[in-house]
Amino acid sequence: MKKLLALVLTGVLGVSVLTACGSSSSAPSAAAETASTEVAAASTETETASASGSALDKDTLIIGTNAAFPPFEYAGDDGTPAGFDVDLINAIGEKLGKKVEVKDMEFDSLVASIGNKIDIAIAGMTVTEERQKMVDFSDPYYEAVQNVIVVNGSEIASADDLKNKKIGVQLGTTGDFIASDIEGSEVSQYNKAVDAVNDLLNGRVDCVIIDANPAQEFVSQHAEELTALEGTQFGFETENYAIAMPKGDAALVEAVNQALKELKEDGTFDKLVAENITGE
Amino acid sequence: MTIGEKFTSAFIAENRWQLYLKGLGITIEIAFFAAIIGLILGTVLALMKLSTHKDGKPAAMSYISTAYVDIIRGTPSVLQLLIMWFIVMKSSNNGVLVASLSFGLNSAAYVSEIVRAGILAVDKGQMEAGRSLGLTKGMTMRYIVLPQAMKNIIPPMGNEFITLLKETAIVGYVSLNDLTRAANLIQSRTYEAFMPLIGAAVIYFVVIKALTLVLGVVERRLRRSDNR
Repeated sequence: MKKLLALVLTGVLGVSVLTACGSSSSAPSAAAETASTEVAAASTETETASASGSALDKDTLIIGTNAAFPPFEYAGDDGTPAGFDVDLINAIGEKLGKKVEVKDMEFDSLVASIGNKIDIAIAGMTVTEERQKMVDFSDPYYEAVQNVIVVNGSEIASADDLKNKKIGVQLGTTGDFIASDIEGSEVSQYNKAVDAVNDLLNGRVDCVIIDANPAQEFVSQHAEELTALEGTQFGFETENYAIAMPKGDAALVEAVNQALKELKEDGTFDKLVAENITGE
Repeated sequence: MTIGEKFTSAFIAENRWQLYLKGLGITIEIAFFAAIIGLILGTVLALMKLSTHKDGKPAAMSYISTAYVDIIRGTPSVLQLLIMWFIVMKSSNNGVLVASLSFGLNSAAYVSEIVRAGILAVDKGQMEAGRSLGLTKGMTMRYIVLPQAMKNIIPPMGNEFITLLKETAIVGYVSLNDLTRAANLIQSRTYEAFMPLIGAAVIYFVVIKALTLVLGVVERRLRRSDNR
């Protein structure tokens, strides 16, 4: 009897500990990884919107990104996320009259975090059917295609050459999905694309599949050893980057789309592209 | 999505359960080889640390062992793994080998302290008795002290093996698909965190519980001679 009682009590304790972790997310313990672009509001405001209300009701929007995807997002000089997406979301926040707080996290956990840990994800994220089941996307703001990074002199040049190859990708990215579908491929998923590129240099993988802009960024750092091949020659489709928001938060989606439209019309958007991507 | 659908998409759809199984295989493989490396190297390190000159002062080997243990214990194992993968064994393609070696070298430091404590817990008189019966220092250590030390060593050693098995969860950093990474991978496909993470946790728990039961049996057997 005593044993049974002890067992039950242990169970209750365990469950209560678990649920306690789940519900009280207001503690500002993530402050270390949090980069606030404006003066951070009081810590009570870091709570994210529940499924019922719109994230628009809050003064501060929590933004998730993965700062390992130059030039869209990367760790800036002071260690906080910087890049095109970060500038864009700041401009959108300004239009909406909201404070914006950018958090750096793993790319593969971004979608699952929307609506609980973060309000919005902007991370050069491609619109896919699978993702649309979980989140709502804004209008696309950038068009890209996957590139294949190879070492100079590699024989890889067409879709057929990718079969039975060792391919490095970043976990959960479009490149990961493409590589996993290639016949006989052996895919290594890395937390950061730059780790995949390092292992390409070390000869552990035969090529790396990653979005065009980061690919060119990485290749420019190792111009003597690496080449980025256009994805079109492998038959990869063009993809659209969009901003991901909680499923069903129509008010937020509409507001963000409106802000995006205004930014495109007043030239801010093109200015940011020129500053961050085309490099002028 | 209902619970049932979540379960299906996390475990059954596209044969995802195979990913967990393969991941568990990698986890166990790394932990197993690391444990062997740790056990052998750790015992050697402990004996090195205990070695003395005739006058009782610590031998040079003792300092080497101390330095090794200090360095390994003083750095995070994630960092050791990354250093092993990206710097030391840069040209090796065998991820399991690199990880086993990294964790083995790490575990050896902890094992050496466990073995040392076990040996020191054997009464000094045992060594003296062996020596006075004409055995050499090495023989006394091998036939008298170490067998008794084993009994002190087994429980904390079990603890170390369990820690080691769980610590391998960081190999995702170097793109090895262990059990934790398998859960990550499925989460990145289904965008649903609950099922894969809880599922992986349950699998770890079951494996470690089984290991605990085996260690319990070994301990009880060794204690049998205590009841006279």
